[in-house]
Amino acid sequence: MIGPPARTAGRLLLVGLFTLPLLFMTLAAFRPTGQAITAGLWPNSLTLDNFRRLFAALPIGRFTLNSLLVVAAAVPLTILTASWAGFAMARLPRSTQRRWVLLSFLVLMVPGVALWSSRFLVYNRIGIGGTLWALIAPAFMGSSPFFVLMFYRAFRRIPPAIYDSARLDGAGVLATWRQVAMPIARPTTLAVAVLAFVLYWGDYLSPLLYLNESRRYTLPVALQLLQQLGRSDYPLLMAGSLWASVVPLTLVVLAIVAAALAERIRARHQRSAVDATDTRY
Amino acid sequence: MNRDYDRRLRLLLLPYAAGIGLLFVLPALMSFALAFFRYDSLSAPRFAGLVNFSLVRTDSLFNLSVVNTLALVLLPAPLRVFGAFLAALLARGGRLRHLLRAAVFLPSAIPATAFALAWLWILNPLYGPLNRLLASLSLATPGWLADAQWARPGLALAVLWLVGEGFLVCLAALYDVPRDLEDAAAVDGAGAWAILRHVLLPFLAPVILLLMARDAVLLLQESFTLTWLLTGGGPYYATYTLPQFIYEAAFDRLDFGMASAALWALYAVTGLILALVYTIARQWQIGMSEEEFLL
Repeated sequence: MIGPPARTAGRLLLVGLFTLPLLFMTLAAFRPTGQAITAGLWPNSLTLDNFRRLFAALPIGRFTLNSLLVVAAAVPLTILTASWAGFAMARLPRSTQRRWVLLSFLVLMVPGVALWSSRFLVYNRIGIGGTLWALIAPAFMGSSPFFVLMFYRAFRRIPPAIYDSARLDGAGVLATWRQVAMPIARPTTLAVAVLAFVLYWGDYLSPLLYLNESRRYTLPVALQLLQQLGRSDYPLLMAGSLWASVVPLTLVVLAIVAAALAERIRARHQRSAVDATDTRY
Repeated sequence: MNRDYDRRLRLLLLPYAAGIGLLFVLPALMSFALAFFRYDSLSAPRFAGLVNFSLVRTDSLFNLSVVNTLALVLLPAPLRVFGAFLAALLARGGRLRHLLRAAVFLPSAIPATAFALAWLWILNPLYGPLNRLLASLSLATPGWLADAQWARPGLALAVLWLVGEGFLVCLAALYDVPRDLEDAAAVDGAGAWAILRHVLLPFLAPVILLLMARDAVLLLQESFTLTWLLTGGGPYYATYTLPQFIYEAAFDRLDFGMASAALWALYAVTGLILALVYTIARQWQIGMSEEEFLL
């Protein structure tokens, strides 16, 4: 009932709709300051002036460095702890598995708001309140049960025979995780890495709640400061927003291109495998 | 040897278990208890009985914040899940699928503050792109965030673009629907709608229900970031939500007791959601089915 042309039109419509906010952001970021804001949306010439003003207004380099420090620590840690937990959950007896999956679902449903004030007290008590470690802390537990469940899902898809043969070869738990499970789950690792990057790079609430010194601020807080400087200087605000968005946007696009290429290569392999069997007959 | 192997496996679970304890269970227990104390995080807590609860209950801002929260969370959540499902349905196949996947996920990938500022511009009543579009269609141009009546619809509109997580989950769940089921239905002459209604939706019903609950939880957080940056709760407290009430009690006035008492309202709602999720997960054996894992 829904023909292919209608589907293609629907896809194009969605692509347009979802990229619209980014388009408006980009157009405003490169708009010359002199051009009256009442003139059309399309800038009559493009300029980097707004970015120059951005770096003059705030120590953006420092904030960018802080953001980079946080993701550099949090993303690898997340992959390590989330994949460990997912691996253990996938390999433990079924009754234990069931308990942990259920627990993970329940933790996913706890609103962050409910934990703000008392996490603040916990961080201060263990001495990481006010430091970048307060932003990185969730990475020690895999950042989110969502990531743990993604790894669990990937590891469960691996046929048990593969695990068993590794065990017969004398591989221990860690060796099986590193040499058998992780290489097979590479697409999941890539996905979790990108999602964790997005999560920590864009985290605005943790610095807002747990940091008190401006030299430790990350880019999301920098945007708040920028807004306090000039609420209606839209070209400047959009330049800051675009600066803070460029890295995660690039990563997501690269990850999807990688996934598309991998899919194509896999399809070609399958086709050549079919060809091979064909010629044999 | 078997028990030794399992014990080592459990060691790998340790960081996750410890983190849940330290970052979720302990803070939850603390705010449960702190509701009965006066505590400013500087001096020792003093027992206060039910004073915090009566303070919260008589605070007219509290009631207002609960109503606003419900309006900002309950309306967009089903719309977002529906949108995510629709987008995932279209992103399953076709030549444009990778482009569509990238486009749908991009708004969720940019920092929440950058997204908020972009909407400050889009919703600008005088020069913003949205009102220019409306004006060119000779439609009314509301004041959006500057107007107490239109601030909430404006924010609800903005959060419709943040469907990244739901989209990924729907896409993964759609991939798990056994292909032969759909093929068999198609052979029997079922059209696209019939397949959607009789094959895909029954299969995905538990996932969609779980996503609704999860989306309400996510919206609570996302709506705070937006209101905090864009409206500060205004105009005339039209976008003043429960998270802001809690934030101001705990971090502006250092009244952790009152913040915790207000949190009890949130825990009541969360408790209902958890009970629902627990029942769904048990009923459908989510994540444990023999064939495939539905996330």
